[in-house]
Amino acid sequence: MQSNAALEYDYSIVKLFMWTTVIFGIVGMAIGVLIASQLAFPDLNYLMGEYGTFSRLRPLHTNVVIYGFTLSGIWASMYYVGQRVLKVSLLESGFLRFMSKLHFLLYMIVAALMVVTLALGITASKEYAQMEWPLDILVVLTWVVSGIALFGMIGLRREKTLYISMWYYIAFFLAVAMLYLFNNMEVPTYFFSGGLGAWYHSVSMYAGTNDALVQWWWGHNAVAFVFTVPIIAMIYYFLPKESGQAVYSYKLSLLSFWGLMFVYLWAGGHHLIWSTVPDWMQTMGSVFSVVLILPSWGSAINMLLTMKGEWNQLTENPLIKFMILASTFYMLSTLEGPIQSVKSVNAIAHFTDWIIGHVHDGVLGWVAFMVFAAVMHMAPRVFKREIYSKSLLEAQFWIQTIGVVLYFSSMWIAGITQGMMWRAVDEYGNLVYSFIDTVSVLHPYYTIRAFGGLLYLIGVFMFAWNFFKTATAGRRLEQEPRYKSPMA
Amino acid sequence: MFHWLEKHPFFFAVGVFVVIAYAGLIEVLPNFMEKARPIKGLKPYTVLELAGKEVYKKDNCIACHSQLIRPFKAETDRYGQYSMSGEYAYDRPFLWGSKRTGPDLHRVGRYRTPDWHANHMWNPKSVVPDSIMPAYKHQFTNVADLETAYAEAVTVKKVFNTPYGDDIKPGKAAFEKYKKEKILPEALKIAKAMKRDDLVKMVESGKVPEVVALVAYLERLK
Amino acid sequence: MNGMVVKGLVLAGVLIVAILVVVKQMHIDLSDPVNMITFLGAIAIAVLAFGVAAKYMQQMKTDTATGELAEDTWDGIGEYKNDLPAGWAWSFVGVSIWAGWYFLFGYPLNAYSQIGEYNEEVKAYNAKFEAKHKNASPEVLKEMGESIFLVQCAPCHGETGDGMDGKAHDLTHRIAKEQVLYVLKNGSHNFKYPLGAMPAGLAQGKDAEAVAEYVANGLKGKAPAAWATCAGCHGQDGTGNGGQAPNLKAFDATLIHQVLTHGKKGVIGQMPSFVNRFTPVQEKALAEYIKTLSSDKE
Ligand code: HEC
Ligand code: HEC
Ligand code: HEC
Ligand code: HEM
Ligand code: HEM
Ligand SMILES: [Ca+2]
Ligand SMILES: [Ca+2]
Ligand SMILES: [Cu+2]
Repeated sequence: MQSNAALEYDYSIVKLFMWTTVIFGIVGMAIGVLIASQLAFPDLNYLMGEYGTFSRLRPLHTNVVIYGFTLSGIWASMYYVGQRVLKVSLLESGFLRFMSKLHFLLYMIVAALMVVTLALGITASKEYAQMEWPLDILVVLTWVVSGIALFGMIGLRREKTLYISMWYYIAFFLAVAMLYLFNNMEVPTYFFSGGLGAWYHSVSMYAGTNDALVQWWWGHNAVAFVFTVPIIAMIYYFLPKESGQAVYSYKLSLLSFWGLMFVYLWAGGHHLIWSTVPDWMQTMGSVFSVVLILPSWGSAINMLLTMKGEWNQLTENPLIKFMILASTFYMLSTLEGPIQSVKSVNAIAHFTDWIIGHVHDGVLGWVAFMVFAAVMHMAPRVFKREIYSKSLLEAQFWIQTIGVVLYFSSMWIAGITQGMMWRAVDEYGNLVYSFIDTVSVLHPYYTIRAFGGLLYLIGVFMFAWNFFKTATAGRRLEQEPRYKSPMA
Repeated sequence: MFHWLEKHPFFFAVGVFVVIAYAGLIEVLPNFMEKARPIKGLKPYTVLELAGKEVYKKDNCIACHSQLIRPFKAETDRYGQYSMSGEYAYDRPFLWGSKRTGPDLHRVGRYRTPDWHANHMWNPKSVVPDSIMPAYKHQFTNVADLETAYAEAVTVKKVFNTPYGDDIKPGKAAFEKYKKEKILPEALKIAKAMKRDDLVKMVESGKVPEVVALVAYLERLK
Repeated sequence: MNGMVVKGLVLAGVLIVAILVVVKQMHIDLSDPVNMITFLGAIAIAVLAFGVAAKYMQQMKTDTATGELAEDTWDGIGEYKNDLPAGWAWSFVGVSIWAGWYFLFGYPLNAYSQIGEYNEEVKAYNAKFEAKHKNASPEVLKEMGESIFLVQCAPCHGETGDGMDGKAHDLTHRIAKEQVLYVLKNGSHNFKYPLGAMPAGLAQGKDAEAVAEYVANGLKGKAPAAWATCAGCHGQDGTGNGGQAPNLKAFDATLIHQVLTHGKKGVIGQMPSFVNRFTPVQEKALAEYIKTLSSDKE
């Protein structure tokens, strides 16, 4: 804490990642709306030949929103928040500046290859780990470079004590590295067969039930350490910063962090309930999921309490609205998940649209809202311009909120109905419904979901426009705003 | 202690890593000790079936279909015997899926037939009028990648001791021979059972349409 | 109660009522324990999440931020040294104790097996089912058969059993002419009746035509001369000689049992076997239902 003189931060890397956040957001969610519509109106499957079916497009949606949109947002914030809370500027180190740019470059290469290979149907078929081995190698390289940049900044820091956000960025980096490596252990077939077949093809090191265990150890924690941990890093910085409020309780931050680290990894078994993995592992996944409510809610409560007495900000500042709603949806999905982990509930919920509803409570209400807020908080500071339009931001908030509510309520109804119909028996004990009955009944809810998704996407376009105008045409700012982001 | 860690990032990172890593060990490792045990009589996938599994992956049927019958009466009534761990011993990767937009397929080979699949994959609405499953007409003209499937068989035989016969061995020549003697006849049988002349013709010309490999795979799911 | 909380609970309530309405429309039995627990779970999620979030938002309206600030600040962000919220802390302790108890004592590691539970459930159910419906009336059987048919058979035979333009056997009719001709040409070895397989070529040319026409028409009118050959096995009236060979006149329980057990390969295509998939009562039920689809009567 030697120097209090204002540091000049280097935001060039932040800007790059902000642009990709916007672009991947549009692409990924446009595909989301398309696949949602395909389930309601199957004729939409035939717009692009074999490349346009629901099944081919679905992994493109998930990968682009997760690894494109969300990761871009996370990394933009990591370079921004990192420099600021560590009090170190990338201008101070040519090496780190180079690493950050290399990070971006590698990331772009992976992203491009990912989109192309998935469109072609080249896939390892494990959820959220579809990329084949040559891409895995590039991913690992990208990850290592990003880690060098992160720990490099930490190494040069002037602020001795790490701020809460940094705890979460560190955990994000470590956990994803570990999990990704193990889940992607694959044997390339080309080299073992005397050069036969596609060179990029591989088989998993694990088989059957073991493969499932490793996959969901990864899958669950990919959710944890991409959709939760770095997003918490973001809210711990952007909410206090935007509001000018001090964080409500250090103790609560501390217990929530270590509690989350300790409990999260154990809960992966909830994806395998009633499967062929041993009973005790299923029970463990179930029990730890319930415990997980508390460390999760701890962060959310901490954030809500940070805004104590500041109701006026919530009504006046759309960015605060985004973040408070994000906390609320975080609470919703981290209560919903544990309840879906209860064995009896999972017997119905698993395999249904209720899970899809749970997913999108989290990603639309929590992850994406937080990303929008973060980008819009950073924009005036990195571009030194006022946010282009407050009313647009306000409209985006409401239209997207309606979108999320339509999405999750329709999927709750669809999923619970579907799950109960699958097991419904008549007075003789025979199944009442043929499978197709349980599909046809969903049509109205699929339609509502597609409509909700469309509203959400419209919001994304508003956001993109607002961002673009802010970067290019917002009123210039003389001085960096201290707290509340200025908006016209 | 925690405050000290917050000032020492290296130890902080080590601390986080230990906390997250050991949960992983306890959760994942114990099951590996028991290895993957195939149930009695389980045969590895034939090369044609492997090629079909690749089509299943490529067109990503897992987006809508599970392959895991849970031990509930409602599921065993609908799909048959519940799934057992040993049945998956040759599944690399496992294809349980996590969503049932369509029905489970783990035992679909028991209650559907090649000619039914031929109708269904060409146009699902022709057999299930309200179906929302896409038609996969391109599978009737795209050619299945038998060579990669064969490479996979060679690899798993070598690396994981999957019990394939001696005629599965590396090299182009071995593949060509195997294709002529084993894969094509098997494919021809399926193509004929699918009752479509275009498929039969294609197989006879030495090219296996994707859908034939796929149906071989689906028929294998029992 | 204050405004925010009420609004939160109203939102939760609307959602739950909507689910309830839809589920009830599908005639779901909510007293079934699994359904009930799921439903309670949904209520808990909606009420707790919206309720608690609303409670804290209410505090934004009324409270003021207080407490002692820590020394550190980061980029202008301060931190209070406030204590843990008591409700949260006690819940954490409580849930952790519950988890330990559940894992070690409540559901001890090796004391539970999902397959064991399944086996018991099915055994008990089947025993009850067979006992209850051993002497079920034809009406009951027919109804039961219809629902099984719609789940298991309709994907091939169509919802009305008409075979969907020749994709499977048209069950509204016992047998079609081309099917008989095919059997005469190729023989039949599908069902394992006491008489075994039927050899190929028992009638040819005109005879075959005539006899096929006769069989396909439900054995009405005067039998052609060649029928005599057939009658030896299928009986003069074509009903199968008391189960020695298939009944050609109408569907009967024996035929359904044989086809479900062995499947069938014929001119139309292949019918998979459903061996061990149904209980005897369910097979009888299917037969009863299929009999009502067809106009051909014994
Ligand atoms: C958009 C979702 C969707 C996709 C993608 C999809 N299916 Fe389906 N599938 C369904 C639905 C819904 C049904 C039930 C209605 C029907 O039979 O068409 C079904 C039924 C089936 C059945 C019949 C199973 C039974 O028990 O009746 C098979 C076999 C099948 N699909 C195979 C596939 C294969 C192979 C692929 C990939 C190439 C695939 N499906 C892709 C939705 C899908
Ligand atoms: C030697 C005894 C025998 C004679 C003679 C015989 N059948 Fe059969 N028939 C059988 C048996 C046994 C079966 C069942 C075979 C099987 O398991 O598929 C059968 C099956 C059939 C079937 C198929 C029924 C179905 O539902 O698929 C038809 C049609 C048929 N017979 C018609 C005829 C006609 C017409 C004649 C006379 C020209 C004839 N049979 C003479 C014994 C005979
Ligand atoms: C995968 C498709 C499929 C399914 C499922 C199926 N069938 Fe069939 N079934 C067929 C086909 C095809 C035929 C006609 C075979 C032929 O004659 O070529 C047939 C024939 C039959 C016949 C006539 C047998 C005869 O020759 O007299 C009966 C009766 C029958 N099915 C009943 C059922 C019942 C009951 C179920 C459900 C439990 C069922 N089928 C399910 C495809 C199917
Ligand atoms: C416009 C907004 C969106 C729409 C309309 C949408 C729609 C969909 C649809 C239709 C599915 C497939 C559901 C199924 O298989 O039945 C899906 C899956 C998924 N989406 Fe989205 N989505 C949107 C935004 C997002 C965002 C922003 C994210 C993440 C940041 C996301 C993450 C996912 C994930 C992880 C899945 C897979 C869920 C699973 O397999 O259980 N989506 N989405
Ligand atoms: C306490 C925290 C949470 C718990 C215990 C939990 C639990 C669960 C459960 C039980 C499932 C369904 C498994 C199944 O039956 O298929 C699930 C799926 C999922 N959850 Fe959560 N959840 C939590 C928080 C979150 C959050 C915050 C997000 C996102 C922001 C999220 C994203 C997902 C996704 C993407 C899936 C789908 C995985 C798949 O493809 O099958 N979860 N979660
Ligand atoms: Ca991979
Ligand atoms: Ca999934
Ligand atoms: Cu999970």
